[in-house]
Amino acid sequence: MAAPPRHSSMMSTSNAGTLQSSTTDRQQAPQQLPTPQPTQGLRVPSNRKTIYDRHLNRSRNAESSRASFAYLFGEMVTYAQRRVTGIQDLEKRLNEQGYPLGLRLLDLLFYRSTSTSSSALSSSSTSSSPPNRPLRIITLLHLIHGPLWRLLFQRSADALEHSVSPDTPNEYMITDNDPLVNTYISVPREMNMLNCAAFVAGIIEGVCDGCGFEAKVSAHNQPTEMWPSRTVFLVRFGDSVMEREKVLERNGVK
Amino acid sequence: MSTTKASRIGEEIWKTRIDKVNAELVTLTYGTIVAQLCQDYDSDYQQVNQQLDKMGYNIGMRLIEDFLAKSGVGRCANFRDTADMIAKVGFKIFLNVAPTVTNWASDNNQFSLIFDENPLADFVELPDDGRAQDELWFSNILCGVLRGALEMVQMQIEAHFVSDVLRGDDTTEMRVSLVRYIEDEMPPEEE
Amino acid sequence: MTVYSFYIFDRHAECIYKRRWLPRPTSIVGKSNQVPGAAPAGLGQTVKAGDDDAKLVFGTVFSLRNMVRKLGGEEDNFVSYNTSQYKLHYYETPTNIKFVMLTDLKSPSMRIALQQIYINLFVEYVVKNPLSPVEHPGGIGVNNELFEESLEQFVTRVLA
Repeated sequence: MAAPPRHSSMMSTSNAGTLQSSTTDRQQAPQQLPTPQPTQGLRVPSNRKTIYDRHLNRSRNAESSRASFAYLFGEMVTYAQRRVTGIQDLEKRLNEQGYPLGLRLLDLLFYRSTSTSSSALSSSSTSSSPPNRPLRIITLLHLIHGPLWRLLFQRSADALEHSVSPDTPNEYMITDNDPLVNTYISVPREMNMLNCAAFVAGIIEGVCDGCGFEAKVSAHNQPTEMWPSRTVFLVRFGDSVMEREKVLERNGVK
Repeated sequence: MSTTKASRIGEEIWKTRIDKVNAELVTLTYGTIVAQLCQDYDSDYQQVNQQLDKMGYNIGMRLIEDFLAKSGVGRCANFRDTADMIAKVGFKIFLNVAPTVTNWASDNNQFSLIFDENPLADFVELPDDGRAQDELWFSNILCGVLRGALEMVQMQIEAHFVSDVLRGDDTTEMRVSLVRYIEDEMPPEEE
Repeated sequence: MTVYSFYIFDRHAECIYKRRWLPRPTSIVGKSNQVPGAAPAGLGQTVKAGDDDAKLVFGTVFSLRNMVRKLGGEEDNFVSYNTSQYKLHYYETPTNIKFVMLTDLKSPSMRIALQQIYINLFVEYVVKNPLSPVEHPGGIGVNNELFEESLEQFVTRVLA
């Protein structure tokens, strides 16, 4: 049961490559093109420098500078700050900006995990290879804790835990001792609840939703002496997910 | 300073002094920023361009300090040196690309940067709404970055894209012009 | 060696950070004590920017730096000067940010130290902190916890 506004915001984002054109048309046609004109399609450079002519793995091992990420992220926070009323609101907005990224990263993760296990173009691989979409919560969380974290931050997350309280069996915690996104952030005292890793929480939420696990994810400061910016991502799965989990458990699905 | 020397400096700093991240994280983060702006401004692409330029300006003013701290280079002797420093050291250490400096105006105050690679635009296709390809400069943040960074080292410049492969052009080209050198500011007079 | 005080001035000639560790020798404090309220600040106390003290320091380094450039060429820069009571160390970035440190006379050259403060503390904790503004009128954003703590550490542990 993903909230509807979530989806509309996801579709109007534009970094999606192939998915983009059709969804944008659908969404914007009523508002902006009252007389639907026949799509002339996009112009492409004559030297064919388009996304379709480049291998998706081209940038797989490409590196950029951490500072550039910090600057972009910083501007994202600053920009969001101007349009919100409080800390919660700011975190919500950062979360929403991370969400579409999660959906895309999920595609990238799956694409890469299949194309490495079999040669990229062999015809059989698409239909007959076992599905690698996680069906169970724990597989999903491992995907986030391991491969997703490695793709984003070049290392695994630091811990993965299940809530010990019998009241909240749907709660899981992923811990990052030193989140990349908080590297340069010194939160003023009056805002000490703020954790800008809400952006990463949004990414996680996108990944969960994309896999069909409705969830709410939030980022919380849990500093220790050694790790002052230690952050716990609290993943709360929805009721439908928990019910399905029970059914799958009974049927022995892994 | 020659272009090759600048390239060597850029390579050296990139290899030894720069903390790295996955380039895709940068690409996708930038993508979500542009997407958010398109949404907030109802696909008014002129406004999106402007906002991107503003964000870039803010980044540039910070990034220049980082650039100087990492590179340890001093003031450039002339605008030609500045161009090489931007293309071969600046872009190299922040985005791991090195655009070509070309099309100098005869007064040496105007040049173009041609981007063979543009990591901000990897994975990107502009919306097929009949307008984005004519109105949106997807990577416009870079113009602001240059403007902000150079202002801090006492150069007022103007920068804009003149072509972009995302718009169907064969190249991605930014035009940069020096407007003036900025004088040192004095403390306000005592009243 | 003893560090007395430390200042940062931005490109708009404003003092955006000021900190005192120990009062300078009394002969100097005594003379400037005509200004009421200029009593020596306590240990590690941050003083609001815009003090007369800071204006004097800025005026001095600004004139000196201009004079040095006039005589020695555009690339020349002054590094420090001594009086009989203290030593003033100076480092200026190409972005016109000026770092000034006052120490006792025994202190070696602080040029590298000031450069390190710029590179490792100012750039990392002030410039890169997205919650601090791009520029710092009135000193906003420079006085964040990470910067202050690391400066304190640097001065008391590394330089001491």
